[in-house]
Amino acid sequence: MFVRTDDKITATQAAVFLNNTLLGAGILTLPRSVSESVKTPDSWISVLLGGAIVMLVVFIMVKISQQFPGKTVFQYAAQITGRVFGGGLCVLLVLYFIIIAGFEIRTLAEVTLFFLLEGTPIWAVILPFLWLSTYLVYGGINSIARVFTIVFPISIMILLISFILSVRLFDINHLRPVLGNGFPPVFAGLKSTVLVFTGVEVTMTLVAFMEKPKLAVKAMLGGLAIPLGLYFLTVVMVIGGISVDSAITSTWPTIDLMRSFEVPGFFFERMEFPFMVIWLMQMFCNFSSFFFQSTLGISQIFKIKIHPIIYAMVPVLFLSAMLPKSMTDLFAFGDAIGKMGIVLFLLLPVLLSVIWLIRVKGLKQHV
Amino acid sequence: MYSRRFLLILCCLMLLATQTSCWSSKEIEDLALYAGLALDTGELTPTEQALEEQGATYPKRNKITVTIQMVPANSVGGIESSDTSSGSPYLNVTGTGDSVLEIFRQYSIRRERPIIGHHLKVIVVSSELLKQQKMNQLMDFVLRDNDIRPSTMVFLSQGRARETLVSKEKNEIPAFHIRDMIRNQKRTSKLMDPVILSKMDALMYSKRSYALQNLVTANGEVEFSGAGIIKGDTGHWVGMLNQEDTECLSWLTNEGKTGVIKTYDWNNQPMTYEMKAMKSKITAVTDGGNLAFDVKITTEGRLSETWNAEEYPSATKHAQKAEKLFKEKLEQMMQALIQKLQSDYKADVAGFSDRLSIQKPALWRKSEDHWDDVFSRTPIHINVDLKITDFGSFTN
Repeated sequence: MFVRTDDKITATQAAVFLNNTLLGAGILTLPRSVSESVKTPDSWISVLLGGAIVMLVVFIMVKISQQFPGKTVFQYAAQITGRVFGGGLCVLLVLYFIIIAGFEIRTLAEVTLFFLLEGTPIWAVILPFLWLSTYLVYGGINSIARVFTIVFPISIMILLISFILSVRLFDINHLRPVLGNGFPPVFAGLKSTVLVFTGVEVTMTLVAFMEKPKLAVKAMLGGLAIPLGLYFLTVVMVIGGISVDSAITSTWPTIDLMRSFEVPGFFFERMEFPFMVIWLMQMFCNFSSFFFQSTLGISQIFKIKIHPIIYAMVPVLFLSAMLPKSMTDLFAFGDAIGKMGIVLFLLLPVLLSVIWLIRVKGLKQHV
Repeated sequence: MYSRRFLLILCCLMLLATQTSCWSSKEIEDLALYAGLALDTGELTPTEQALEEQGATYPKRNKITVTIQMVPANSVGGIESSDTSSGSPYLNVTGTGDSVLEIFRQYSIRRERPIIGHHLKVIVVSSELLKQQKMNQLMDFVLRDNDIRPSTMVFLSQGRARETLVSKEKNEIPAFHIRDMIRNQKRTSKLMDPVILSKMDALMYSKRSYALQNLVTANGEVEFSGAGIIKGDTGHWVGMLNQEDTECLSWLTNEGKTGVIKTYDWNNQPMTYEMKAMKSKITAVTDGGNLAFDVKITTEGRLSETWNAEEYPSATKHAQKAEKLFKEKLEQMMQALIQKLQSDYKADVAGFSDRLSIQKPALWRKSEDHWDDVFSRTPIHINVDLKITDFGSFTN
């Protein structure tokens, strides 16, 4: 068997890695969260606009990371701003990753318990995923990237099949009028569309692992374009299928779209079960990615070996997942994560870039 | 070395526990699937009365009577046991109380198998109940529940809703029968597009008025007849559309493109037009600040039946005359529908609001909150374009 020892990933792997980090529970709730703030059928414009903004953000992240080849944000932040301040920023980032990881696996568990395994205790759903993820993360970035490349086509395929079958409910009039209330609702929706891209911060560590860091811009923007396309498709199909009014009132609008039709005589009569089961893998990838990022962060900030940290993280992540007491808590948690993401974006790539520019271009220092 | 092996074995053992993966599994044979649900005004059944006389009751106000149609596992799986004593492939259970879920749970102290809603196909609500309760109140539970799928269809019934779930056919499950009848939309537009729960959800949230197909029963037979109108702002049942109105409604909303138009010709003999293509277009127009709707209906079809033996209408003779008569008839039918919607019920169930919101969003925003009022005052011009393209395979 081909075993890599250098812990590097190719550009394609990096793109898939980013994609699987972003595409998770967000797709199940996005149509509702956008519609709630937009209130007109224009949410798809918000998604595209939000995606464009995030593309810009990722571009900045890649550019700053490319100045420090082979180094992750956890290493170069200290170089730019000094050990204490940089370390502080990175600890924040690690905390952020831990919280998202907890959020992802908790959402996974909630969906599973509500639709699939009513009656199973929540820990019995979370723990196997947590153990499996531990095993995966133990293998390093290469094994993770390879698992992601296996999961990626399967989950995308089932999502697309589900959407194709839902065409029977699709009514273009649900998406009209376009811009009936002008642009203000579209901007109102930006808040929630930017939030579904939480996790793009991994860009700042991924670039360091790339075989050819020069391809980073292409790979990262490619990795971002796929979830953007799928989010766009999701919003269009869900709003077109069950209309804005129904999407607003539904807890899991995307699943409700799948539950709104039956396909007699098809391999599966009901698409929500295959979709949910496969989508669990996607959420697992999501979780593993953040698991990996947070352990990597701790290991690099405090210069400790990564393997003991992986084990130490298991209970922390479990607690993070069990923190929200109810669904209301969970969704509030999701919103908080989005806000943290924006603050972190301002703190990390922007601040780091500015300081780096001042030091290198202005003060002619060698960083 | 030993500690690592110990860890490995420990991990394996822990994983083993997850491998059975049947923590919350339920055998389908042990469950009672229900395919139909009927909601009625609270009225105790004789069995319930007898039970309650013996004190078998709990605190309740008897606001609603819920009937579910359970489908025994053996008839679903296709294993027909040759000598079933009951003979009926379904079983209706009725309970009375205040909350749908509470009544559902009451079934558990009367029947041995727990009920499960994954296969619910049809919900029938009696119009009588909708005069007392709001649609939102009745649909709340079914929309929240995690078993019941949003693909479930909702109908109204003229009489008791539970009677629509009874059939005199031996091997027929009424809930499936009702669902399958929808397929006949290919033949008649008196069947409207079924309203499924997710659409219902949107309609109730946007507070718009809507029409639901009506079911009428007699002698153990069910007929789809007309539609009931639910007012958006109150959520109550306000009135009925007859079969002809319902047909026109389907044509107006482009949901139905089939059907026949029958009229009487110059000799007072029936003649029938069969629709082959139909398209309706609603346009919102403003002249001098006043809103109006232009409705354009274009249809092509065949003259399929005539009883006139003397002056047979054909491509060469009387074709124009026949066309004109059918056109008048269709216009008349449409006018009757519009008249009912605007004056009698003051409810826009024909999607005029959708057209307005798409074509003139600014105007729609202004009248959104009191749309049904605005609608009832808005002039609607109907323009019918009817064309007989052929006269069948029989010519004189």
